[in-house]
Amino acid sequence: MNVELTELTRRFGHTQAVAGVTLEAGPGVFGLLGPNGAGKTSLLRMMATVLPPTAGRLRLLGRDPGGFGPRREIRRRLGYLPQNLGYYPGFTVADFVEYFALLKDMPPRRVPRAVAAAIEHVGLGDRARAKLRTLSGGMLRRAGIAQAIVNEPELLLLDEPTAGLDPEQRVAFRALLREFGQRSTVIVSTHLVEDVGVACTEVALMDAGRLVFHGTPGELVTRGEGSGAAGDAPLERGYSAVLAAARSGAAARS
Amino acid sequence: MTAATDAPVRRPLAPAGGGVPLTAARLLRLELRHNTMPWLLPLIAALFWFDTYRPSTATPPYWVLRTFWNMGQGHTIIDFAPFVAGVAAWVGSRDGRRGTADLVTAAARPRWAVQLAAWAATAIWAVGGYLAFVGALFALYAHQGVRGQPPWWWVAVGAAAVLAFSAAGFAVGALYPSRFAAPLAAFGAMLAMLMSSQTGFTHTSGWAQILPTNSNGNFQADSGMLYPWLPDLPIVRTMFLAGIAVAALGLLGLPAAAGGPRLRLAAAVTVLAGLAAAGTAAGLAGTARLGPHGLVIPALHDAANDRPIAYTPDCAGGGFRVCLNPDYGSELAHVTAALAPVVREVAGLPGAPVRATQVAAKYSAGEGQGGQAMTISGHPPVLGMPLGALGIPGAFGWTDGETAGQLQLLLVHAFVGAGNGVGTPAQQAAQAALLQGAGLPFASQPNLLGSVGLPSWAPATGGPGPTTPVPATGPIYAAARRLAAMPAGPRHAWLAAHLAALRAGHVTLAQLP
Amino acid sequence: MTAAGVHSQAPRATHASAVRPGPAWLWLPWLYLVSRRAPAALALLAGCGALLWAALHWHWYVAGGPAAQMLFPLVTEAGAATVITATTYGPFGEPERATGRWLPYLRLGAAVTLTAAAIGALAVGSTGGELYGGFAAMARNVAGMTGVGLLCAVVLGGMLAWAGPIAYWVLAEGALANRLTTPWVWPARPPLDRGAAICAYLVFAAGLVLITVRGAHESVRDTAT
Repeated sequence: MNVELTELTRRFGHTQAVAGVTLEAGPGVFGLLGPNGAGKTSLLRMMATVLPPTAGRLRLLGRDPGGFGPRREIRRRLGYLPQNLGYYPGFTVADFVEYFALLKDMPPRRVPRAVAAAIEHVGLGDRARAKLRTLSGGMLRRAGIAQAIVNEPELLLLDEPTAGLDPEQRVAFRALLREFGQRSTVIVSTHLVEDVGVACTEVALMDAGRLVFHGTPGELVTRGEGSGAAGDAPLERGYSAVLAAARSGAAARS
Repeated sequence: MTAATDAPVRRPLAPAGGGVPLTAARLLRLELRHNTMPWLLPLIAALFWFDTYRPSTATPPYWVLRTFWNMGQGHTIIDFAPFVAGVAAWVGSRDGRRGTADLVTAAARPRWAVQLAAWAATAIWAVGGYLAFVGALFALYAHQGVRGQPPWWWVAVGAAAVLAFSAAGFAVGALYPSRFAAPLAAFGAMLAMLMSSQTGFTHTSGWAQILPTNSNGNFQADSGMLYPWLPDLPIVRTMFLAGIAVAALGLLGLPAAAGGPRLRLAAAVTVLAGLAAAGTAAGLAGTARLGPHGLVIPALHDAANDRPIAYTPDCAGGGFRVCLNPDYGSELAHVTAALAPVVREVAGLPGAPVRATQVAAKYSAGEGQGGQAMTISGHPPVLGMPLGALGIPGAFGWTDGETAGQLQLLLVHAFVGAGNGVGTPAQQAAQAALLQGAGLPFASQPNLLGSVGLPSWAPATGGPGPTTPVPATGPIYAAARRLAAMPAGPRHAWLAAHLAALRAGHVTLAQLP
Repeated sequence: MTAAGVHSQAPRATHASAVRPGPAWLWLPWLYLVSRRAPAALALLAGCGALLWAALHWHWYVAGGPAAQMLFPLVTEAGAATVITATTYGPFGEPERATGRWLPYLRLGAAVTLTAAAIGALAVGSTGGELYGGFAAMARNVAGMTGVGLLCAVVLGGMLAWAGPIAYWVLAEGALANRLTTPWVWPARPPLDRGAAICAYLVFAAGLVLITVRGAHESVRDTAT
């Protein structure tokens, strides 16, 4: 397993953002769904080792990120694209990707080729020398994906990666996910259920910090059949059905 | 529960350690290309021209005088420091402002290392800019034929100051990434420079010598001409500033996000080392004592720096030969012409000098330095002239007439035996009468005394060009007028008979004819 | 399982005043000032006043005649101008610019208010001490250097505009030491000099006009803390 979470918890003051999540993931594409404030970003940040858990156990790529040495080794093999991507406007696309390639301790002699490959992979090859401030939102997002994949990570964490991408680019992006999923663990947090349906081999659904569903997209679809839940597509109905059940169950318990 | 049933194959990664220097170099190259500092260099250049170069062009062409304002009083540092600190704070706050803190933290390279790369780029641009501007300044001076030796040690102090301000500013920005970080860092640098300068005006010794723009202790009158520039004080100032820079950079490595425990321990050690260096330097500065050619720090002093710079003097004059250091060669004619009337007036009298030679000025710190007395010694008597800052037309606003008058006054002052003091009333009267005989009227003498800095029996005026003429009145001038009114022959004879007693202080005002 | 549980109740309409604790004509300027970190700026301006008080009462300036006596107050005046300059830009970028008519008035009001606060803070800081040139010179210098900062903000952006007042201070310090007397370097002129006052307030007015009309230069994707 590349990702092993055991009763993972994260609190911010009185707010429990992630409440006892248990999860395992190996190679493949893993979708993370949930409404706003469900705890997806906090979970992703913990897996990116930028946020320590409050409680529970976390193992990534067979290592405990609590120690500096193992954490560093994880980060060398990690690709992370946050929801709000910060960047340095004066950097070119190539500069930006190279910067993070170097920060990830890639051997410097491999960097130029890796940077070029990553930029081509996201379809920005002809904009490699363009300054980031000149890019559209979608292009910026693709530059962010490029920096995440430049080191061919074993664990790739993407938070809302397709925000701003046009349909054609989303199709290409899903193909990229499937390609990486063959040899790495890719965890994608998204609101777009169609991305999950097409690209993901597993999907988890979070609500109020808890994991309320974990299975295949097909299983999620099944949960929505005949439930009368809202949604224009089978996956959306499954999503709504699971949420409704989780909330009514939570209400009954309280 | 998961789809994967096989244990994942862990792909071995190429070791990162072998490429650390190359990685650091590439990071640095990226940072250098995108740094903000170059954008402010044109503005700094304009200020440098206005505040550093332009005022210096009014001074005579000697390195010690040309660089007194801009290096001695630290104006090269003042022109750079606020901008360097502000830009460094701006660069240091970048991750906070751009929202890239998580991205950088999630990377393998320690955050401290990443920050050091960003700082290094800023520092390289800042120090490089400083050295380029000072280099251009020195090249201009050299082209203008400025004489003596450049104050290289003080260039190093300036570069260390720029480095220290960049590090301190960067730490402020990195630790407090607010929109006010850059302006506050710049303001703090301005205030530090001002406090440094003002403290220097009253602290002519002790720990305050460590302050980078403290103008005491650093520019003795004949530095780089008759004696080498003393490196003692520049060394401790450089050490102090480097210590501050090291401590500031070490602070960046202390937060938990900066790296692992060993790295943070190294950062703590770095902070302590920087503080120790700065503290040691301040302690050494506190031991500085006045030497004849500058401030000496015993623990660092090299006796070789006390040896005069060997030179072959430039000489002129037929009967009364005047010899100067060749760096003062352009003043030879002026000095010879200025001394001539007095030489004629005292010719043949006991103790009258037969020739004049330049000697090194004695160092004195603080504002309002007094004039430096000439001496007459040896057999035959030779006039020793510590020209220093005196006797140089254009130095600190002196005109040709004023410097000629100063030379004449100091010669007569030495001749009547007044030495470093005011002299007895009889000596003062004799001095006034001899100057009158040499062509310097009584009316102009009080102001001249004040300009040389000698305590005067007339109210001191201070500085060249006093706005209010001081009257030459009182019993001393009355006696001087009586002596000057005598025919030349009898006056000469009286002086010949009484000069020994006059110099010994045994002649009273009433005993003057 | 029905869909009924999925549908939550429509949210109750909340009265606007329950959200906003005050009338709109106060609330909007307040929000604008908070977005520019004006409260922190006011604290920093008070700090400038305290620094001036310390400099005057503990006689930090020592030597150099009237020129030196001006340097400490000038530093605090330049510091106040840089603080005001740092409040000229906001975090919102284009969405804010693509709004109604209030933004120019808000910019103008903020600049004038903070400049007045700076002058007030320094006036308080100078009480009981001998401020060379008095209130008139201080107000002139603050207004003029703030004008320099505002002009730099329009050209360079609020984030680098602090360099303007700082550069002006270096210029003034050099002019004082070298006895330059152009009215465009107003600190080097006598306190009640008309030409200097005209130049300083002209620069201030120009800065106000431009910051009101154009605002600080902002990159579309700048985010500011």
